[in-house]
Amino acid sequence: MSYIPGQPVTAVVQRVEIHKLRQGENLILGFSIGGGIDQDPSQNPFSEDKTDKVNGWDMTMVTHDQARKRLTKRSEEVVRLLVTRQSLQKAVQQSMLS
Amino acid sequence: MQDRLHILEDLNMLYIRQMALSLEDTELQRKLDHEIRMREGACKLLAACSQREQALEATKSLLVCNSRILSYMGELQRRKEAQVLGKTGRRPSDSGPPAERSPCRGRVCISDLRIPLMWKDTEYFKNKGDLHRWAVFLLLQLGEHIQDTEMILVDRTLTDISFQSNVLFAEAGPDFELRLELYGACVEEEGALTGAPKRLATKLSSSLGRSSGRRVRASLDSAGGSGSSPILLPTPAVGGPRYHLLAHTTLTLAAVQDGFRTHDLTLASHEENPAWLPLYGSVCCRLAAQPLCMTQPTASGTLRVQQAGEMQNWAQVHGVLKGTNLFCYRRPEDAHTGEEPLLTIAINKETRVRAGELDQALGRPFTLSISNQYGDDEVTHALQTESREALQSWMEALWQLFFDMSQWKQCCDEIMKIETPASRKPLQALAKQGSLYHEMAIEPLDDIAAVTDILTQREGARLETPPPWLAMFTDQPALPNPCSPASVAPAPAWTHPLPWGRPRTFSLDAVPPDHSPRARSVAPLPPQRSPRTRGLCSKGQPRTWLHSPV
Repeated sequence: MSYIPGQPVTAVVQRVEIHKLRQGENLILGFSIGGGIDQDPSQNPFSEDKTDKVNGWDMTMVTHDQARKRLTKRSEEVVRLLVTRQSLQKAVQQSMLS
Repeated sequence: MQDRLHILEDLNMLYIRQMALSLEDTELQRKLDHEIRMREGACKLLAACSQREQALEATKSLLVCNSRILSYMGELQRRKEAQVLGKTGRRPSDSGPPAERSPCRGRVCISDLRIPLMWKDTEYFKNKGDLHRWAVFLLLQLGEHIQDTEMILVDRTLTDISFQSNVLFAEAGPDFELRLELYGACVEEEGALTGAPKRLATKLSSSLGRSSGRRVRASLDSAGGSGSSPILLPTPAVGGPRYHLLAHTTLTLAAVQDGFRTHDLTLASHEENPAWLPLYGSVCCRLAAQPLCMTQPTASGTLRVQQAGEMQNWAQVHGVLKGTNLFCYRRPEDAHTGEEPLLTIAINKETRVRAGELDQALGRPFTLSISNQYGDDEVTHALQTESREALQSWMEALWQLFFDMSQWKQCCDEIMKIETPASRKPLQALAKQGSLYHEMAIEPLDDIAAVTDILTQREGARLETPPPWLAMFTDQPALPNPCSPASVAPAPAWTHPLPWGRPRTFSLDAVPPDHSPRARSVAPLPPQRSPRTRGLCSKGQPRTWLHSPV
């Protein structure tokens, strides 16, 4: 069963809130992002988290550049993400068994 | 006062019924009667309601009924006026100039409606106290037809309001205006909320005397928004839930597309309104339209068509004009059995049709020719009809088709798929919707354990097979043109300093001879011709995996 890119998808997500850090003149988050719908996912060395929303902005259909811009807005000190990861499904399954 | 209003109400109903009868418009009359009965039922239900959720559903039905009654009344008045002024009334013996061409009707379907919300900081994560909830639904109007979506309970853990309904309007013209209205009401009793505007309103009602004060407030609040004029159709239950118009927009043919689009919403209420919701200001949806000329045959009959390249050999076929094609079947039955036609001629905006010119050259009367341009070549098909009348009727059908295509524009490029909406379950039991997000308070480090704990306390669906969204994580994407959401990698940036300043993009597939990290973003390789895809993945196979610090 596969999902079709471009179609809405329902997933188990986790909410993460990050306060940006100050480094010199800039506010940074302290990690890197990779991918975007204009990127080739088979070259992804990590297959950890996927970001669905940033501060209310939809991230499921963005290019790499758009994603980077939404995370690095100068005016925002706090970033709220909705993130999905594979291990969330395991957590759901474990809870069903017990 | 109450009695007077009852009398007024009865008189109004009587007037409406009389008007419907006098017009002998049986269909509209039947619809009106139905709505009036529904309204009476909703009023009784509302009076008998004990629970807030039931009252909300009943009030919603009442609002929809009122809107429909008003809209049908408006339509009746229009028709009555037209009849009195003698503008309508088909006189079959009229032999004047032909009526102006009118475009064919179509089906318009709106689905996958989603309205994003924008919660302020204070509401979003803190305030784990009582969950303030709203009941919202959409009212959609096209012409005199009004439909509603299901009612959804919204609280601050939701990022969007998503409606599952598909709403279909069957008799739309290309100049349609689809008005979308979002109504909201507080789930909790309005008196329970604190806030200056509420206090003012309470003071107003108590100083004028409770029932008349409330009515005054109702009439003050009812500006705009259909279905809320208290004088014509007064709301019977005083103190019940009240829906307020939160936002509206109007969609037309320009907004129709076979895909999702975002449109602006005009916000109609402000923070003082008790039912105010922090709307982001837009609505996403899929608005599709199927003109009848695309789905129904517009002409059919016997034709003789010249076989390609063979001057003398004219085959007799059964032609069917449907959508952007003229199908020529060997036999009339083939059109229904799904047999492949002998020949298909494309008819689109660029096609040129001429009648009679080739008569002399071919020695065959009553011919028409259809020419299409394919690249540098022009392909012309000559078709002979049976008689002068047949030729005229084919030409008329073709002109009508060209006219329809010019009116329906992008809807005639390809047939847009419309799913017949499934009937909704009436009055679903509205259990208090707890939200997983509201219950979660996850510390970053022990997230999995916390999720497991919370989930063990909830009953959920059995998940035998992996849900589809997990496919996003498989190594081999199933489709040739994979797209994935932006991924977050764990933080390598902590271990070595990177030039922060303006974040730059690095590419992980840097070509081997050049080992220095490039400071500028890398353009992907020239795109190959890939099959037509929707949305943003249309530049061909992506070749890079860009990676940026943020």
